[in-house]
Amino acid sequence: MEPIISTKDLMRTFGGVTALNLVSLDIYDKQLRSIIGPNGAGKTTLINVITGKLGASGGEVFYRGQPITNYSVHKRVRMGICRTFQINSIFMGLTVYENIRIATQLHLGGSGRVFARRTSLKKVNQEAESIVDRLNLNEVAYQSVENLAYGDQRLVEVGIALACDPKVLLLDEPTAGMSPKETRHIARLIQELAKEVAVVLVEHDVELVMTISDRLTVLHQGGIIAEGPPQEISNNCDVKDAYLGSTKWAPLLETD
Amino acid sequence: MASVIQIILNGLVLGGVFLIVAIGLNIIYGLNRVMNLAHGSLYALGAYFGYTLVTGKVLLFGLDFEFGGLNFFLALILAPALVGLVGWVLERVLIEPMRDRPMIYTLILTYGLMFLIDGLIKANWGDTPHYIIPPEFLQKPVYIGDFSYPAYRFALLVGVAVVMGLLMTLLNRTRMGINMRAAADIPEMVSALGVNLKAVRVGAFVLGCVMAGIAGFLVGPLYPILPIMGHDMLISSFVVIVIGGLGSLRGVIVAALLVGFVQALAEAVITNFAMVIVYMLMAVILVFKPYGILGEGKFE
Amino acid sequence: MSNRTNQAPGSLLRRWSGAHPLSLGGFVLVVAGMVVLPLVVTNPFYQNLWTRILIFGLLAMSLDVLLGFTGLLSFMHNSYLGLAAYAAGLFTINVNPESLWLAMLVGVVFTMIIAWPVGWLQVRTGGLAFALLTMAFGMMYYTVAWKWHDVTGGDDGLVAAIEHGLPKVAEEGMVPYLDINLGPWNLGNTSDPVHVYYLVLFIVVVAFILTHRMVNSPLGAVLEAIRENEERASFVGINVRRFKLIGWLVACGLAGLAGTLWMFLERNIAPDTMHAFEGAEVLMMVLLGGMGSLWGPFLGAGIFILLKDCLSSATEHWEIYVGLVVIFLVLFLPKGVAGLSSMLRRKPSENK
Repeated sequence: MEPIISTKDLMRTFGGVTALNLVSLDIYDKQLRSIIGPNGAGKTTLINVITGKLGASGGEVFYRGQPITNYSVHKRVRMGICRTFQINSIFMGLTVYENIRIATQLHLGGSGRVFARRTSLKKVNQEAESIVDRLNLNEVAYQSVENLAYGDQRLVEVGIALACDPKVLLLDEPTAGMSPKETRHIARLIQELAKEVAVVLVEHDVELVMTISDRLTVLHQGGIIAEGPPQEISNNCDVKDAYLGSTKWAPLLETD
Repeated sequence: MASVIQIILNGLVLGGVFLIVAIGLNIIYGLNRVMNLAHGSLYALGAYFGYTLVTGKVLLFGLDFEFGGLNFFLALILAPALVGLVGWVLERVLIEPMRDRPMIYTLILTYGLMFLIDGLIKANWGDTPHYIIPPEFLQKPVYIGDFSYPAYRFALLVGVAVVMGLLMTLLNRTRMGINMRAAADIPEMVSALGVNLKAVRVGAFVLGCVMAGIAGFLVGPLYPILPIMGHDMLISSFVVIVIGGLGSLRGVIVAALLVGFVQALAEAVITNFAMVIVYMLMAVILVFKPYGILGEGKFE
Repeated sequence: MSNRTNQAPGSLLRRWSGAHPLSLGGFVLVVAGMVVLPLVVTNPFYQNLWTRILIFGLLAMSLDVLLGFTGLLSFMHNSYLGLAAYAAGLFTINVNPESLWLAMLVGVVFTMIIAWPVGWLQVRTGGLAFALLTMAFGMMYYTVAWKWHDVTGGDDGLVAAIEHGLPKVAEEGMVPYLDINLGPWNLGNTSDPVHVYYLVLFIVVVAFILTHRMVNSPLGAVLEAIRENEERASFVGINVRRFKLIGWLVACGLAGLAGTLWMFLERNIAPDTMHAFEGAEVLMMVLLGGMGSLWGPFLGAGIFILLKDCLSSATEHWEIYVGLVVIFLVLFLPKGVAGLSSMLRRKPSENK
């Protein structure tokens, strides 16, 4: 099977610092790939380069075999590469519904309609409503997102990415700051999504990652030090070395 | 037509003045996160306070008396200090309260402030040009062989160097200065170390205003002092900052000299549209090199 | 579940316009009032004043499209009013002193021709850099208008250009009066303040309705997204630069329209109108009336111009008042008068 996203010797430097060092990986459709690693390993930078927020200093990114290394962000989104951010990036002054609606509008079309009313884009609106429904946000749908609880705002963030009809969904620490209940809800959602599209998950929540991932890629100081199914990774010496002393990864070390 | 040496020296003089003003603006932006559009008006205030102090004619909304006038060098210290005082009041009353609001509002606020100060200047000192007379010994031209150049302008270059030296000492050797530099980069860390961030911010704003005031006073003897003198300076200092890159000291120096030379050249050759060239340069940099000419700055 | 604006049965008119009954009614009332105004205000000086209010209201509204809806700040939006006025005026003097509609077209087209490449450059930046660029270009236009006195008449404006013997010299040494023709019918002439008033009112009302439709359209939704969060906007697939340019062009086009109306009213245009100070005044009108409301700027223009007229004895020190008002507004009333009214109208359940 051809990978849906693949990178080849991807490099990214900032001044003197090498954030990504010859990173080559393949992401496959309907698979949940988690990218883990200590702070500063380059996980978010990797996502940024794949999605186009940052340019590559070297190497290439491919989407279904097509080189997209120089494509703009919005062009990649149109192709189906959608992401969420570690720190919420949503439309604060708009309602939940409007946040989702603009994404479905961009996906289904209609932005050029200058004199039509927004209500006339029936498909767009219905699609938005169904996503709001799927996220269980109906009660707050017409409230401004700045008034929402943090957990709900995170859901809106995911909802926006969903509304773009992604072929690849890249989620940057989606459960950060969430309660256990909210985390379970999101985890279930992510697992469902991984049955339909390719999902790339950057996470610090070890238990979550071990439970739901199909494959793990471990980054350390900008390079890949291990890759494989969860069980393999938890037995991997290099990985343990990288995290020696880190209490967060203690569960990882204990499975020896 | 001015000779080449004159143009170069004029460029240096202009560059020096731009440098001081632009650094002041930079400091305020770096620490108060405010692009102070009233900076040009504070620069003008430096000149006007200087005029009042040197001539001794005080005309302040009802107060009308003369006091014989101060020594030029005394006024050189007092006038910027007064501008610094004004800056202190502004920081406490207007800038600090706006800290948590989106930048666009503070931008518009300082825009309004600019008009307020300009209007007050016009109301108080009037539209007619005023002049600061430099001390006797600086009024003569200096002769180097065949070539002559006003002594005051040389003195101004010395003044700029002194100011920069003092500034560097302040920023590198004093507690306040070091705190300022740290606060510009990592405010959380600085406050965690127990430094009073608020005091640092006030200090930075006042310092920036003092710089503007010094520049205004220094320029006083060069050109007629008019209420709109701040406008062109504001634009020029923005150009300098944009070209130099926000936050880059070396960049600001290079840019100030560059803009100084361009303007000196333009004034000698194409008087009418001199400023247009400067604006075009700024536009080009803003669009194509947002990190400034040396690529060290960060413009958001 | 259906979208809120579709809920509840309503009259055909309301469903067609999509507006809340209260605001539609309010709009009709205001327009009716403006139509009747010249019958009540018979002094030509004040008729001129109210026409100015309409024109500046249009200019302020165009700035609102840029600032309130797309999120881009311009310090000198009045530049584009000036450019159009100069173009329309020069066209009328030198090329065709007969056709009002042609002059209007020329003015707007000229403004767009300048606004397009400038906008293309400017949208590569945002926020502060964008605002500074508008100032840079604005000062460039001003300097050209001021210094190129052979063409523009310099300080005194087109009137001076006329005096210096440009081809068509009209009565009173100003830009000629124009007939207001609709096809074969002559509806009036710009020599009559009442005719000018109705011409301006008509154009402004049409412009308002069209702009209102635009900001409530799917295109408007895109602009709002850019205003709220540029980065996220690109991450939902929006070509941010392209849409910023669209917002910019609409704003400049409307400003240009206001500029041609200005030419018909004043029959002169001087560089003063394109100066930074006047640019601040327009910004103030938007702030005063309320950003993002589209009608607020008209209110702001009205209050500002009427206030200026009342305080005309203090015009010498006008800068002080402009400065104080801007500061006051930013500190205490950032959403302007429109913000006040929407705060009053909001139901308790929607409040934070």
